[in-house]
Amino acid sequence: MINFLMSFSPSFILIFAGVLAAFIPSYPGRKGLMIGAPTLALVLLNMIYLQAGASGTNEFIGGYFNVAGIELTTLRIDPLSWVWGNIFAFAGILNGIFALHEKCKITDTSALIYTGAGIGAVFAGDLITLFMFWELLALSSVFIVWRGGKESYPAGMRYLAMHVLSGVLLLAGALIYGKETGTYAFNHIGIDAPGGKLLLLAFGIKAGFPLLHNWIQDAYPKSSVTGTVILSVFTTKLAIYALARGFAGTEMLIYIGGVMTVFPVFFAVLENDLRKVLSYSLNNQLGFMVAGIGIGSSLALNGVAAHVVVDILFKGLLFMSMGAVLHRVGTAKASELGGLFRTMPLTTLFCLIGAGSISAFPMMGGFISKSMIIAAMFEEHHYVVFAMLLFASAGVLEHSGIKVPYFAFFSHDSGKRPQEAPWNMLLAMGIAAFFCLYLAFPWGGYQVLYNLLPHEVAGEAAFSPYTADHVIFQMQLLMGAMFAFTLLKRFGLYPPERRAQILDFDWTYRRLGLNIVKWIDAMWGRLGAQIKMLFGKMFGGIGRRLYQVFSPAGAFSQDAPSGMAAVLTAGMLAAALLSVYFF
Amino acid sequence: MAKKPNKHPQGLTKKQAKERTEAHPLAVPFLWLGNEKVIKNFIFVPLFGAILFSVLGFFYPLHHPAPWDFFASYTLIGFVAYSFVVLCAWPLFKLLARDENYYGEGGDD
Repeated sequence: MINFLMSFSPSFILIFAGVLAAFIPSYPGRKGLMIGAPTLALVLLNMIYLQAGASGTNEFIGGYFNVAGIELTTLRIDPLSWVWGNIFAFAGILNGIFALHEKCKITDTSALIYTGAGIGAVFAGDLITLFMFWELLALSSVFIVWRGGKESYPAGMRYLAMHVLSGVLLLAGALIYGKETGTYAFNHIGIDAPGGKLLLLAFGIKAGFPLLHNWIQDAYPKSSVTGTVILSVFTTKLAIYALARGFAGTEMLIYIGGVMTVFPVFFAVLENDLRKVLSYSLNNQLGFMVAGIGIGSSLALNGVAAHVVVDILFKGLLFMSMGAVLHRVGTAKASELGGLFRTMPLTTLFCLIGAGSISAFPMMGGFISKSMIIAAMFEEHHYVVFAMLLFASAGVLEHSGIKVPYFAFFSHDSGKRPQEAPWNMLLAMGIAAFFCLYLAFPWGGYQVLYNLLPHEVAGEAAFSPYTADHVIFQMQLLMGAMFAFTLLKRFGLYPPERRAQILDFDWTYRRLGLNIVKWIDAMWGRLGAQIKMLFGKMFGGIGRRLYQVFSPAGAFSQDAPSGMAAVLTAGMLAAALLSVYFF
Repeated sequence: MAKKPNKHPQGLTKKQAKERTEAHPLAVPFLWLGNEKVIKNFIFVPLFGAILFSVLGFFYPLHHPAPWDFFASYTLIGFVAYSFVVLCAWPLFKLLARDENYYGEGGDD
């Protein structure tokens, strides 16, 4: 039985469980699948990896399928994919616990298939398998977006359009790459490889590259309470995996990542919807990862993998805490919240742990992983991007470290006295919070994180986070930023939270593009009407003429004068004679 | 005629007593966080922290300093970067904020 289960990707267990969930009317049964299937997948992938390790290799390749003459590899577990597989399966369990209270068949089914597609894509050994799971990921997740209600429908359509586009680019890139190189194996590709630019663009859409990022802030905050938590895990982190696998060391990514860390900071400070603030924050954290991939050194790639692990935990935790607020209060708008720590103390505590982790306070998750990426950037002498990352670190403290917990749980007393979050939400948040702290714990904690990383943390990848100088300078940065917050707040220079729609690049297609299409449509309609009128006039004129000539009342029906008839006959005779003479 | 006491038997004002009644039991020991005085004086916590870590930075300098490093440079970077981001929000809001239903799709909640 075990050998049978180990002969294919653990992702199929989740996908099968998802399909099964669609037909199970029993709510406890579905919830059992929501937690049981990712747990089984987690156990299996580790058994397979351990078995490979026991046979002296750190890579397991299997799960072969032959489709249309192409051999597909659905199971490739190596040190890189193992990290992602583990954290995806673990996040699947957390999501299952967080969503225990929700009696929604669509969410349960979609979440299971979505998780399975994410794990399947990570274990894909070739580009065609990657494409299939890539598309399944998009199709399964759009239903989670649509669970947000009527308003989420257009956002879901835009989300789907972007992800289908990403899939089409991936397929095109894969086919060109396969044709030119003779292999579809998904290993390092590089931007100069045939189809490389298309593949980079496909991955870039899902990773939220600048100007391609809006689907994140558009769709995620519009999903349901549990939907946003589920969505925040897989799609973007899969893109990071694909970039790390295919484009590590691509210098362009250093600058793209640098820009990604900085620009969301300015939007996050403007936003009133705290789930949207977190969506911008997600983009900002992805920037750190993309920049790390661009460097491509062992230290940087370890930093990226570590940051993916802790980001899934602390970002999930932050989204969960805002989900709990939305669940209890009915809104996640900063302008409507405040003072909730009085009745939601545990949610407040968990949110503060998430906020501290993302801000990279010592002893909390992000401190280890973000520092690895920044240190790698420094080692490679990319001082401009290094400075951008420092700037972004202060920005992260602003939007996720301070703004989210402050406006939801402290700030002014909104007078709202909601109940504490349901037990299942608290349990999921508690587990995530525990790991945020544990994986940064100096005595035996971060070493566990190190054991997960794709490269051994030694030699050129060696990194000691808890040196006095590192802790002190990180605290300097954070204390300087926190002092700025208190000072600006004290002097009334911190902008108030106001309800508004903040325009971003999506304005170009949601308003400008839409108006251009509407204008073209109107012009086309007018042009059509003009052409119709012109043709109408033209054919109407010809018709009138013909009528005037041939109708019963027309010229041909009238009695012609004999003189005219004689002239016509003479003319016809002349024409006949001439034609006979010359031809 | 005796004046009606406006204090709670435990020495709390009516507002404090009501707040305590409404609060989650685990939050009761932390209700002082909502006190105006505490909020107003919280500024001294990061100020003290910034001074402390700046001084410590003098004794434990970075092993690999950046080209621009000087005394308390990271404190200054944090302060300036944060202030810049927040102060930019004023003109950016004027430039980018529109009615909440600008796209005609309703709010996000």
